Amino acid sequence: MRTRDAVVAEGSATTPSQDAPGAPVEYAARTRGLRKVYGGTVAVDGVDLDVPAGSVLGMLGPNGSGKTTTIRMLLGLTTPTSGSVELLGRPLPERAGDVLPAVGAMVEGPGFYPFLSGRDNLLRFAAMEPLLPSGSVRVAVADALERVGLADAARRRYRGYSLGMKQRLGLAAALLVPRRLVVLDEPTNGLDPAGTREIRRMIGELRGSGTTVIVSSHLLAEIEAVCTHVAVLSRGSLLAQGDLATLLEAGGPALLVTTPDRDAAVTALLAEGVSARRSSEGVRVELTGTSAPRVVAALVRSDVEVHEVRRERAGLEDFFTQLTEGVSATTEGEGP
Amino acid sequence: MTALDTDPERTTTGFAPDPALGGASSGRTAAPLLRVLLSEITWVLRRPRTLVMIGLIALIPVLVGVGIALSGDGMSGGITALLSGNGLLLPVASMGMLLMMALPVAASFTAADAFAGESAHGTLRALLLAPISRPRLILVKSLGVLSAITATIVVTTLVAIVAGLLLLGGSGFLTVSGTTLPFGVGLGRVALIAGYVVLQLAAFASLALALSACTEHPLLSLVGAMGALITFQIVGLIPALDFLTPYLLTTGWQEALIEPLRDPMALDVMAESSARALCYLLIGLSLTTLRVVTKDS
Repeated sequence: MRTRDAVVAEGSATTPSQDAPGAPVEYAARTRGLRKVYGGTVAVDGVDLDVPAGSVLGMLGPNGSGKTTTIRMLLGLTTPTSGSVELLGRPLPERAGDVLPAVGAMVEGPGFYPFLSGRDNLLRFAAMEPLLPSGSVRVAVADALERVGLADAARRRYRGYSLGMKQRLGLAAALLVPRRLVVLDEPTNGLDPAGTREIRRMIGELRGSGTTVIVSSHLLAEIEAVCTHVAVLSRGSLLAQGDLATLLEAGGPALLVTTPDRDAAVTALLAEGVSARRSSEGVRVELTGTSAPRVVAALVRSDVEVHEVRRERAGLEDFFTQLTEGVSATTEGEGP
Repeated sequence: MTALDTDPERTTTGFAPDPALGGASSGRTAAPLLRVLLSEITWVLRRPRTLVMIGLIALIPVLVGVGIALSGDGMSGGITALLSGNGLLLPVASMGMLLMMALPVAASFTAADAFAGESAHGTLRALLLAPISRPRLILVKSLGVLSAITATIVVTTLVAIVAGLLLLGGSGFLTVSGTTLPFGVGLGRVALIAGYVVLQLAAFASLALALSACTEHPLLSLVGAMGALITFQIVGLIPALDFLTPYLLTTGWQEALIEPLRDPMALDVMAESSARALCYLLIGLSLTTLRVVTKDS
């Protein structure tokens, strides 16, 4: 309870007016000392999450790492065992009614009634949306279906939808009204590559419109393209969080050059005083004391054929390999 | 409805939060209650299972009516003799039969699904995130269940009246005291019985609702409610447990249905049974509230 008081005080300092729910906030979501215990199992422990307003935060971690539990506490669905949550500047779950109208979410997969059509499902949830005037419920539903490409399947029963269509309907429900924050828990689960791209495109559009997005995944590759920030969870603890670019550089900057004449490349670079060595894929170049453009220029001057040059992202990538390897060893399935 | 429902400030439903409004600044923290209630009631009443249930139950009085009409005057046993030529008694007799098992099952069918079904579909989260506050969700769900019960009783009673008049005939309301009341007064008595049954079923359904809030399996709460009903009935039959009789919801159900058939009418049992039902309703809704407000979703 001590930590909760601390955060509320901090929150009021950064929020200009406590009584205007639409007022801009520095953080779309914050948690302090978040902890959840189910029975004897600690699902989440000591999570201090910061989600800057306007960012796209990728919440990464293997299955069972506490992503969904954290998200459920963020949204006030589950009461934390201890610690505090602040969503759009308001403490949750106490002030859930103030902020949740501006929050769209898909948690633990899409949840709909199998015996209703996609459209009727959305109409039911649209009726519950505080920010949707009664006169525009139907228009909002039609728009949302159009936006996720389900307009043609709108009258079919949800029962008959493919997994991809179900996910898209879940997304449509989250986007029924303009949101300040959208939370998507594993939105790409069960989607084919085209579906995954589609989700990425929509997240990009949301970000472009100023909406903060929290998206969880167990695959870095799936969402790194759209994230500005990441938070890495493992076994209920927050291992790392922050700006994506900063975290990616954390392992010491290096360039990976793909070239057919690796020996020529290494020789040319060493002659320029740049530390380089052969690697399995090509040539690995240390960027200490030099920069990527200079390395490329040196290679071109020496007539080395360069097929591809990319940053090595030691920090997160290695981290992730470790995490995903840990997953394959344990059983599948998200925690409670 | 217009004054309650429309918010002239927001008519756009675009992708982006309207910068001028900042998304949440229109200030509504809950959708209009009437809209949410209508949505819930439509949702309950349009479900195929609800429609099938109402249809099957409304069929019973028709079957009873046909049976009595076919057996004719030749077989003059108690109920058959009483109903022949007294069509308005068919709804009363039907309620008596249905109240033993079919109606309690039907009432708890909807109630058992109210929270557990939403949990099982993963839609409870969506409702809470809309957001609908938990106390309001209880109100909305309770009224949804009440609407299903009321629809069942109204449809069954109407079908029974029509079937009774067509199959058995009769222009008045024959009381068990031997007098015949005018048709209009008879209809009033039938309505009284229907209202009493709705209250009893609501009380019983509130127990199923409490069970529904405790589980993610609608069947489990239905089985629990059936268990309660059977327990009530068995305990009511065991003489050694007579001291429990005043506390059983089912006590007086059959006797209360006979009371409006007397002339003059005395409603002692019905009043006591109704008071008991209100107590059960209070207990059921309290347990539901207790569970729902603390439930992790």
